[in-house]
Amino acid sequence: MTSTHAVLARALGSPAVEPWRRRVIRSLLYGRNTDRAAKSKARVGLALIGFATVYAVIALRLVMFAVAPEGHTARRVGNQDAVATARPDMLDRNGEILATDVRMPSLFGEPRKLIDVDEATELLTAVLPDLDATEVRERLGSKRGFVWLKREIRAQQQQEIHRLGIPGIGFLAENKRVYPNGAEVSHLIGHVNIDNQGIAGMEKWLDGQGLADLHRAGFATDSQQKPIELAVDLRVQHALRDELIAAAEKYKAKAAAGVVVDVNSGEIISMVSVPDYDPNNPRQANDPTRINRMTTGVFELGSTFKALTLAMALDSGRVTLNSSFDARVPLRYGKFSIHDYHAQHRVLTVPEIFTYSSNIGTARIALSMGVEHHKWFLKKMGQLDRLRTELPESAEPIVPKRWGELNTVTIAFGHGLSVSPLQAVMAISALVNGGYLIPPTFLKRSQQEARALATQVVKPETSEKMRYLMRLNAEKGTATKADVKGYYVGGKTGTSEKVVGGRYAHNKLLNTFTAILPADKPRYQLLLILDEPQPLKETFGFATSGWNAVPTAGKVIARIAPLLGVEPRFDLPPADQLILASARSSH
Amino acid sequence: MLRLLNFAVIGALVLAAGWVYEIKYASTRQAERVAKLRVEIRREHDAIAALRAEWAQLDNPDRIQILARRHLTLKPIDPTQYDPLDRLPEKTIDLFPPGTTDPIGALIETMVDPEVVTNGDPEATGSIPDPAAKTPDAEVAQ
Repeated sequence: MTSTHAVLARALGSPAVEPWRRRVIRSLLYGRNTDRAAKSKARVGLALIGFATVYAVIALRLVMFAVAPEGHTARRVGNQDAVATARPDMLDRNGEILATDVRMPSLFGEPRKLIDVDEATELLTAVLPDLDATEVRERLGSKRGFVWLKREIRAQQQQEIHRLGIPGIGFLAENKRVYPNGAEVSHLIGHVNIDNQGIAGMEKWLDGQGLADLHRAGFATDSQQKPIELAVDLRVQHALRDELIAAAEKYKAKAAAGVVVDVNSGEIISMVSVPDYDPNNPRQANDPTRINRMTTGVFELGSTFKALTLAMALDSGRVTLNSSFDARVPLRYGKFSIHDYHAQHRVLTVPEIFTYSSNIGTARIALSMGVEHHKWFLKKMGQLDRLRTELPESAEPIVPKRWGELNTVTIAFGHGLSVSPLQAVMAISALVNGGYLIPPTFLKRSQQEARALATQVVKPETSEKMRYLMRLNAEKGTATKADVKGYYVGGKTGTSEKVVGGRYAHNKLLNTFTAILPADKPRYQLLLILDEPQPLKETFGFATSGWNAVPTAGKVIARIAPLLGVEPRFDLPPADQLILASARSSH
Repeated sequence: MLRLLNFAVIGALVLAAGWVYEIKYASTRQAERVAKLRVEIRREHDAIAALRAEWAQLDNPDRIQILARRHLTLKPIDPTQYDPLDRLPEKTIDLFPPGTTDPIGALIETMVDPEVVTNGDPEATGSIPDPAAKTPDAEVAQ
């Protein structure tokens, strides 16, 4: 390259032509032996690169402007939602809405921007008559930048106030939680406070799932949050509640409660406790008579517990369905004596003990198993520890501190140990579903997921025998009034006297009934509780479970079985042929 | 030659400037439309939420039950009214006997016969006989 330039320069004769002075300047400026042509070429190249870079930066920036979303608009929308604390919708298992958000305007003032406080107060109270004038004046007169005047006003009122054109008065759209079904799902779903924070039930659980943190950070503005699907079936919930209200009224009971669970997945299909409250107006929720009796209350469940005692005995292998126990005379224990309500005064077999609901027989069975075994079994069935579900409300069972033989005797037939009804439901489900103890849930769950969580607590054969006993009880025991034709119902009644002032009161009863359907291959379990039902003329002066809780359960089953897709079957043989025969042939 | 090129470049510059202006103007218009639509979507969302809530309120089983009791003669279904599909009898009735001279007339004759359509009782629908209660209806079905 350099040589060609030199040749070129020589051919032009430039060194000869150039005067010496210029040559001196040139050598001073560029050095003696430099080639100017090459140098200028490099410079042009450098300039080219420089310009190209600048243009590239400009082009890139333009592309970025075009691609990036408009931060401007987004920010404006965000400001409007400053206090919007959106919550996801809650749906029942069929997609019916149980709780949803509706946007409502709220009125606020900015006292610093306000010109005339008195005028503003006057105008506002004219549109909103329920607004307290002195309070408004006080708030607007303060030196704060922002004050709430009224939360959740109607759209029409917003229009009117807007037309007044008061400076420093504005609106913010806030999310308001609404419960379209009112009291129907109250205890289950809970409720929220004025700031849309869950304070009870599943709403509170939802806040625990990270929503509360979102609220605090102010990100919970997206109304497109994924809805929560609960296990509850609104139709079943309604049917159960309707029948419970009717029953509480008919039998003049203080309260009634019921729960329907899927025994194979532990899903709570329905849970009702009346009297309940309207979550849209949660002030009533603090009333102590309106507590959720299914999870927050603990009760002595009476004869329902006999199912557990019998299952324990059958599962140990030391007692069979053909074993018999002496129930001729009341069982004396120290100064106590245990009587039978339906006393037979003879030796009873195990199925007879169950169908006659014999206290003496059950107590003798428990004693033959021993105190430690009894305690161990109930512990295994989850009856001695607090049951945790998604609901924040739960109660600790009341377990005797010193557990002697007398405790075993009474707990065998359901006295002396108070558990939450949901806890007992879990245990009885395990007795009939093949022996799997599955923690109950309010969320949708498949049978496979439930199996993964389950622990085998009794043998499948024991479970078959329990199904047989439950069905037998509906065929010829205390639960005949719940035997809805076609659904092959099985069940166990329980009547317990309530403790008043440290003694059992004979006229204050807590009646329970637990039903399984269909008994040969249970899918659902229903537990009903009636608190202090009164004897009626129609019940011939009786107030025990078989006369009120059982017929109520019959009505509930007739209504909910079609909703749950339980197919009616009419040509089924009695329990000892259908369930017991299959149990015998299987092992 | 060079001058021509210069004029061409100036012309292109003017055109490009006009085009850029047009694009910018259009993009502003589009941006405004986007903002407007966003507000509209937001409003529609809110309206949908409100209507869904109202629908759920109107659809509440408690309310439906009260209305149904007041206005309808329907009664809750009894288990005996269910029947599995495989117990459905085969379709046997020919609408008209083969070889009839007036098939349409015979067809009408069959259709209007209440005995065939409703089993004699205009209110009755198909059901399994209740094994507990022997109703006259059950006798007919057996």
